[in-house]
Amino acid sequence: MVSELPLRSRWASLALMGFLAALPSVARAQSAFDLLSAGPEWGGQDVPRDVPVRLPASVPPIRGGVEQGLAARSAPVGGMATVREGAASVSREAGEDGAARGVPESEVRAHAALAGDGAAAGASTVLAGDVSTAGAETVRAGGGAAAGASTVLAGDGAATTASTVLAVSDSAEVVPGISQSGPLAPQMKPAPVSPGLAPLSPMNDRPFKVIPVAASVLPGLVFHGLGPWLAGDGQTAKRLFALEGTGLGLIALGGVPIAFTGASRRTIAPLYAVTLAGFSLFGVSALANLYAVTSPAFDPGVPASSLPPLELEMGYQYVSDPSFDYGHFVSLGALARLDTVKLEAAARLSPGEGNTQVRMGGAYRLLGEPEGARRGSDGTALDAELYGLFHRYPTEGFTVAGAEVGLRGRYAMARVSPALAGSFAEASIGTSLQGYSYPGAVNEGNLDEQLLFTFGYGVWLGRGGPVRGDALLYYDHRKDGFAGGMRTRGGGVVGSFGLRGRALLMNDWGVAAEVQAGGAIVGRLSLIYAVGGES
Amino acid sequence: MRRALYLGAAGALLLSGCMRPAENRAVRDSRVGRAESSGLSLEVEDGLAAVRNLAPGALMLWGNAPVFTARATLAADAPSDWVLTVRNAMPDAELHAEVDGGEALPVEPLSQALPTVKMWRVSLRPGATARLTVAPPDWQTREPFRFAALADVQEALPRVGDIYERMRRDDSLRFILFAGDLTEGGSREELLEFQERLEAGSRIPLYATLGNHETFAKDAEEYTALVGRGSQSFTFRGVRFSVVDSSNGTLDPAVEEQLETWLAASRDGVHVVAMHVPPQDPVGLRGGGFASRGEAAGLVGKLAREGVDLTLYGHIHSYYSFTNAGIPAFISGGGGAIPETFDGVGRHYLAVDVDASEGLREASLIRVD
Repeated sequence: MVSELPLRSRWASLALMGFLAALPSVARAQSAFDLLSAGPEWGGQDVPRDVPVRLPASVPPIRGGVEQGLAARSAPVGGMATVREGAASVSREAGEDGAARGVPESEVRAHAALAGDGAAAGASTVLAGDVSTAGAETVRAGGGAAAGASTVLAGDGAATTASTVLAVSDSAEVVPGISQSGPLAPQMKPAPVSPGLAPLSPMNDRPFKVIPVAASVLPGLVFHGLGPWLAGDGQTAKRLFALEGTGLGLIALGGVPIAFTGASRRTIAPLYAVTLAGFSLFGVSALANLYAVTSPAFDPGVPASSLPPLELEMGYQYVSDPSFDYGHFVSLGALARLDTVKLEAAARLSPGEGNTQVRMGGAYRLLGEPEGARRGSDGTALDAELYGLFHRYPTEGFTVAGAEVGLRGRYAMARVSPALAGSFAEASIGTSLQGYSYPGAVNEGNLDEQLLFTFGYGVWLGRGGPVRGDALLYYDHRKDGFAGGMRTRGGGVVGSFGLRGRALLMNDWGVAAEVQAGGAIVGRLSLIYAVGGES
Repeated sequence: MRRALYLGAAGALLLSGCMRPAENRAVRDSRVGRAESSGLSLEVEDGLAAVRNLAPGALMLWGNAPVFTARATLAADAPSDWVLTVRNAMPDAELHAEVDGGEALPVEPLSQALPTVKMWRVSLRPGATARLTVAPPDWQTREPFRFAALADVQEALPRVGDIYERMRRDDSLRFILFAGDLTEGGSREELLEFQERLEAGSRIPLYATLGNHETFAKDAEEYTALVGRGSQSFTFRGVRFSVVDSSNGTLDPAVEEQLETWLAASRDGVHVVAMHVPPQDPVGLRGGGFASRGEAAGLVGKLAREGVDLTLYGHIHSYYSFTNAGIPAFISGGGGAIPETFDGVGRHYLAVDVDASEGLREASLIRVD
C-alpha cells in the first residue's frame, strides 16, 4: 500500500520515530511508535494487538447510546469497590476543570461521560507505574443514574486495588496525568504512562502454543474446551464445554423426538429448529475452541467503526454441478446502508446458458448499532430480514419465485471469553415460500416452503485502518441455492458449508470472495466499489 | 510439491464423490445380469434379473421385472441340459426358449411349492445362442391391471408378513412395486431374510429399487448382487414402469440419461415412475426431498413434459397424495419403519389400478394394521 501521508507528516513521523527510539525499550515496546509503524500509514494494514480495543467482557449494551468507550476485560479483584467508593465524583465541574487546565475536550470526555438527563456510560482512567498504582474513575449522570465505571492498574509492585483491564474506544483517549491530581488518584506517584500498556490486553498473557492447537483439532473437535484448557485458560475452557454441552443437549432435545415421531409433519418445524440450534452451538464451540488457541498467533480484528453507505459489486461466479449445464456466471450486487435499514440486491447471470437469479430485499436492525455507524459497538446485532427471489432455469424449463422472511443475529464472542476477541458467531432462521412454474406443456406448478437456517463462526478483518470487513465459515441449510444440499446417504437433508469474506481494502475499493460446497461446488470472486467509503 | 499434488488429487476425488455419490452404483448396474461359467455365457437384457448362481447345468436368477429375456450362449463342449430357476417370478410365468434363428427349444416345467419360484428344464444347443424369455402369458395384452406400491420396511422386517397376508386377500394384485429401503442396514443377511420372508409370505413377486438404507452396506453392493439394478425400466400390459436410484437425494447424470431414453420410449404411452427419495417433499419445512430443489424441479418438469402419468415414492414413512408439476404423486412409506406419528395412517400400501389406454385409474390406500 502506498502511504497517503503528506510529506510534512512523514518528516514529523520520522522525528517522532527518532525520539521514540531514544526511549528505554520497555517504554518503546508499547508506545505510539508501535501504533504508527504497524499502522496503515506505514504500510501495515492494521494496528498492533496491544492497542486497547473494544472488547468487553462485561457486556456493553447492544445499543449503548453514548460513547461506549470502556469496558472491563477481566475479573476485578476485591479492591474494586474500594476504588469506586474512594473515587470522588467527576462531574461537569471536573470537565470544566480539565478544560481550564488546557486538557483537550476529548480527553476530558474520556474521564467523565455525562448525560444530561440520567443516562451515562463508559469512562475510565488507565494508569501504570513502577510501583503500586491506583486509579479510579466515575461517572455521574445528570439525573443520578450512572454506568460503566472501571479502573486499570498495573505496576511492578503489588497492586493494591482493582486490576480490571480496560478497553478504550476511539473517542475516549487516555490522558496521562489527568488522574494524578485531585481525589481521583490520591496515592499515585508520578510515573511514565503509555496508551499501549501491556495489561490492557490479556492476549499478551497467552503465548501461542502448538500442543493446545493440535489438541483443539483432535480430540478437540469432540471436546470443545480442550484447547484452552491445555493452554491454561480454564475459564474459556469451561464456557466452551458448557456451550458444547448445551448444543448436544439441544440436538438430543430436538433430534430424538424427530426420530421417534418419524419426522412428523405436525411437529417437524419446531423440532428441526431446536436440533439445528443445537448443531449451531456445537459447531460454534468447536470453532471457538480452535480460535482460542490459535488467536495468540495473530492480531485479532475489530469491527469497523463505520461502513460506507453504498457498495457496488461485480465479479465472477463458477458453479460445478453435475445436474446442471451452467457453469459461468456474472455476479452483480449492490448494498445500501440507511441507518437501521440495509437494502441489498444481487444477481447471477449465466451469459451462455441463460440461468438468471435475482435476489432483492432488506434488513432492519432490531438490536445493535447500524453498520454505517457502529459507534464503538462490538458488532453484536440482530436484524429482521425480508427478501424476494427470482430464479429462471431456461435449460431445465422452470422458474421459481418467492419471498423469504427471517431473523439474523451476530454475537461478539469476546462476550463469552476475552480469548475469543476478534471473532463472532452468526446465526439466522427463517422461512421461504416459493412457487415453481413450468412454462409450456406443463400447466400446473408447485408451491413449496422451506426452512432457512444458517450458522457460522467468523472473524473481523482489520483493526481500525482502512481494511474493514469480516470472514465467516458457515453452514447453510437452504437447498434452493446454487450449492444445494449435500447428496448424502441420508438423502438430501444436510445443507451446504461455505467460507466467505468481504473486506474493503482501501477507502473505496474492496473484494468479496466465497466458496461453498453442497451438492455443487460454488466459487465467487467480486470487486467492491464503495461510495462514500471513508473510514 | 508432490505432497500438495497428492492432497489436491485426493481433495478432487473427495469432492467428485460428494457431487456424484451414486455414480459407482450406476456403473455397477450395467453389470447386473451378466455371468460366464461352466461353458455358459449369460446376459439378461436391460439387467432385469440378477444372476444368483451359475453352475454346471444349473442357472438361478432373481427376477426384478415381470418380463425379461436372457441371451445364453453355450460353448460347443458344454452340456446341453440345464435347469433354470427363477425366483421372484410371476406365479403364472412361463419360459419360452428359442435359438437365434427362431427355432423353439424344448422346455419342461418343474413343479415348485412356492408361488413365486419357477423352475424349468431346458435343452440348450451347444455352440449356439438361445433367447430365454420369462413372462406371464398375458403380458402383452393391454388390459387394465392392479399392482401394489410399498416402501420402507427396514427394521419392521420381522413383521412384514402382515403386509403380505393383507395383500393375499386381493387376488387382482399382480406384483408389488417397491420404492426402496427393504432393510435397515442393507447387509447380505438382511436382504436374504427379506427375500426369504417374501417368498414364504407373498403370492406375488416384488420389483424394487433401492433406498438410502441399502447404501449403508458397501454402497449397496449386496443389493446389486442379490436383487438387481437400482435403475431399470420394464413394460407390462402396455404400461411402462421405470424405477430410478434416488437414494442420495439426487439422480446421477448417467441414470438421468437412461431415464430420458425410457421417457422418450413411452412418450405416447402410460408411464409410471418410482424412486425412493421424492424430488419434492410435500412438507417443505422438513425438506425430505432432493438435496437440490433446483434439480428436483428440473426433474419433475421433465417428467411432466414427457407425459409421465404417475409418480410413486418412499423414504417418508407415511402416506401423502399430492402433485408434482401436475403429475399425480404418492408417497407410500408404510412398510413399517418408524412411522410418522399424528398422521393417522400406520402401516399401509397402495393398490394402484392402471390401464394402458387410460393411464391411472385409481390409487387406494390399504391399511394393514
